[in-house]
Amino acid sequence: MTIATMTLKLPDTPPVSIETLQSVLSHMLPAGADDGDLYLEHSSMESIALEEGRVKHVSASTHQGLGARVIKGESAGHAFTDRLDTASLMQAAGSARAIATSHQDRPPVAIHSQATAPTLYSGSNPALGLDFTMRKELLERLDRLARSLDPRVKQVFANVSSSFSDIHIVRMDGAFIHDARPLVRLNVSVVVEQNGKRETGSAGGGGRFSLLRFAEQDKAEELVRTAVRLALLNLDAHDAPAGTMPVVLGPGWPGILLHEAIGHGLEGDFNRKGTSVFSNKLGERVAAKGITVVDDGTIAERRGSLNVDDEGMATKRNTVIEDGILTGYLLDRQNARLMGKESTGNGRRESYAHQVLPRMTNTFMLPGNDSPDDILASLDRGIYAVNFGGGQVDITSGKFVFTTSEAYYVENGKIQYPVKGATLIGVGHEVLQKVSMIGNDLELDPGVGTCGKGGQSVPVGVGLPTLRIDELTVGGTEA
Amino acid sequence: MSHSNIKPQKDSISGHAERLIDSAKKAGAIHVDAMAISNTGDSITVRNGAIESVEREDAQGMGLRAFFDTGRGLAFATASSSDLSESGLNQLAAQVVAMARISEPDPDAVPPTGAIHPSSNELAAWNARYPDRDHGWNIEKARDAAMQCEEIARNYSPEISNSEGADASFGSSHIAYASSDGFSAEYAKSSASLSVSVIAGTGEGMQRDYAWHRAFHASDLRTPETIAHEAAKRAIAMLNPGSMESGRTTVVFEPRTASSLLGHLIGGINGRAVLQERTFLADSLNAEIFPEFITIEDNPDHPDGMGNRLFDGEGTRCVGRNIIDSGRLNCFLTDRYTAKRLKQPETGSAVRGLTGDIGIGSSNLIWHPGSQTQEKMIAEIGNGLLVTEMIGFGVNGVTGDYSRGAAGFLIKNGKIVRPVQGITIAGNLKEMFASIKMVGSDLTWFGSSAVPSIAISGMTVAGQ
Repeated sequence: MTIATMTLKLPDTPPVSIETLQSVLSHMLPAGADDGDLYLEHSSMESIALEEGRVKHVSASTHQGLGARVIKGESAGHAFTDRLDTASLMQAAGSARAIATSHQDRPPVAIHSQATAPTLYSGSNPALGLDFTMRKELLERLDRLARSLDPRVKQVFANVSSSFSDIHIVRMDGAFIHDARPLVRLNVSVVVEQNGKRETGSAGGGGRFSLLRFAEQDKAEELVRTAVRLALLNLDAHDAPAGTMPVVLGPGWPGILLHEAIGHGLEGDFNRKGTSVFSNKLGERVAAKGITVVDDGTIAERRGSLNVDDEGMATKRNTVIEDGILTGYLLDRQNARLMGKESTGNGRRESYAHQVLPRMTNTFMLPGNDSPDDILASLDRGIYAVNFGGGQVDITSGKFVFTTSEAYYVENGKIQYPVKGATLIGVGHEVLQKVSMIGNDLELDPGVGTCGKGGQSVPVGVGLPTLRIDELTVGGTEA
Repeated sequence: MSHSNIKPQKDSISGHAERLIDSAKKAGAIHVDAMAISNTGDSITVRNGAIESVEREDAQGMGLRAFFDTGRGLAFATASSSDLSESGLNQLAAQVVAMARISEPDPDAVPPTGAIHPSSNELAAWNARYPDRDHGWNIEKARDAAMQCEEIARNYSPEISNSEGADASFGSSHIAYASSDGFSAEYAKSSASLSVSVIAGTGEGMQRDYAWHRAFHASDLRTPETIAHEAAKRAIAMLNPGSMESGRTTVVFEPRTASSLLGHLIGGINGRAVLQERTFLADSLNAEIFPEFITIEDNPDHPDGMGNRLFDGEGTRCVGRNIIDSGRLNCFLTDRYTAKRLKQPETGSAVRGLTGDIGIGSSNLIWHPGSQTQEKMIAEIGNGLLVTEMIGFGVNGVTGDYSRGAAGFLIKNGKIVRPVQGITIAGNLKEMFASIKMVGSDLTWFGSSAVPSIAISGMTVAGQ
């Protein structure tokens, strides 16, 4: 028996009847509520991992539940339950209603299906088509490849995972929206050793497509080569310099700079409450001329893309900075209503057990006219950062950091040597004013981004062309 | 506003775990263990004196691990589900057995037999010491505490310009473990917490800070006033920060930031990371990695610790020990598998949640305090940096290389002179551990760890 046939058959119809959902909705919504919805989710995840040359971590999980939500003004009542019997659902509905002072009910509405948005990804389980035996063979092949590339490779870790989330949203007006979301990921990391010194390198990729694609394309091999190359590079890395200097960012994943420095600060909740450094700055210059930043949830098969957001609103391509001027915020329905605007399709939640927050989808900068070679050549003495690990931001002060995983020290426009993971730190409302060159080579990241906010994680994408920033603080140990 | 209380599904939790074991054995597993968890909780957030959100959680789930004899050794797999219906349990059992059949047999696999479980006397003593006690709050009391805390913080000073709100949460959990060798036990936990976050200053000069506390019972929490004052004072103190010169200096971590050092230590002695040589401490067992005056204890049974546990995620009895004993690394943290592979004692450190594989983690970590106040430490180091906030994830667990964003206060001539931000601090964890100069007397609990202020010499600060 293969696991492919064991993979749970997901319901095309919700696991709770329409009649029950209708009575739960009626029980939940008092007269005077501004908004409210039920979020019914069934999701399954499968993961298989290789270490020490052996596939030995095979795991799966299945979650289902209902989130119930009532909104009135700035208040929201949320409740969730993992138990889908009618009594538990009614109890959740009653708890969500707790913010309301009115005891009057709204007249019940008829639940009606709403036409779904364009399909950005397949609505079938991405695990289908590549059964566990095939996934195991794929991982074993990657392990052999990694070890064959260099005798210094001592340990290989590879992991392939897939998830499939089937959601039904019932809104206060009775609109009934369905989305089925695949998501896959392949990670490879290696440990290399030379003269007793150990280093590591890793690479990953994925998106909203079938696992089969990892087996069909050279993508998996490419990740292995990258992981090994980075680990060996780290063996030769010098301590990074410490201090303020010009920095050139490579294309693609370094777009995490936009995510941290700008994106979070433009999320509607912080701006409505006046707690973001970008509050009340619409129409003002926040970046150098030539910089245009978009958040686009509509790119086919990307990790941050969604047919509809978690409030059932169609996702969009939203321009947040145009030629350096702040043009918009990222909004969910509640913040849009309170700010007198329309939702931008950015209402997201990790699962039925979490609140809706305005979040990014895929955030990137449009390309400019400079050639990447010219940008690197312009660097007298500074850092060329090609790849990053994670980053973080403080919305209120605007300070952000990210850490390099592949970076070089450059003098007179020439790469001198690789430098160890260094933290770059800056202030969001200052850094994009200091951009002096924008490359013509926009790339999106390989599909590995996960964004944390308010204790919730959601998949996101980032992108960037090669970029020169005239001044950034580099946190190395070489003072 | 009223809430009817859903009774946690206490009675059924052990029952579910046992039924799951039967189901998996019927599906062909030869050894099985299962963990079941049920959580109920409430949370209320207030901002600017009004309710911002009211949340209710009713969660349950179980994780199952099944071992299958391939004829060439044991293979195993894990699965979890929140669907505890009869069909959900059967499906979970069938799935995990099918997955175990595909997993590679591991000659070192450790089935859940022969584990050192707590005895029935120990179970009874534990339940007497930590009874299934209520958290002491209902939604109205929690709302009142949050309202009071937020109001005091907002009104602390005219420099407080905005609020991100106060949150009061409370809940209870029931945790059950059962294995096919006949052991079955469960225990309960309750908690209450209160937090507030406020903003000082305006526009591009805004600074935010927070304070929080969590305890088993609402009556054990610090007062709303204490929490409010801490958050407001911290936000105000950071107004008008500057940078500082790049160079080597002594860094004092206050307890809040020092607790991250504990995290790096625990990551470094995780048995799995050691087995895979993926940690900077892989070769450090029995070595003096800290100065002699440092002792760090892992204590699963402490009256103030939120990480108390009688048994771990594999049913192994938990026993307290010094991880660092007078500077020396005494043990790696192990589950049964890594203990066998590393030929080290089982420390009862298996951690199991509602999803995913079994991990390894500590219970309550207590960094034994020194005798000096933080003020005296600052006076003694003369010049340096007091770190009150860290940002970013620049730590390489394999090499110990460390580089993180920081904010805090410049120390000159033994006194705090002004706030600094936009700087980084860097070093290597191994060198940092060895370069600890002083430990403060200000032991502070953060849920399941307790840490004093710590001073480390020779770190590199990057600023102007």
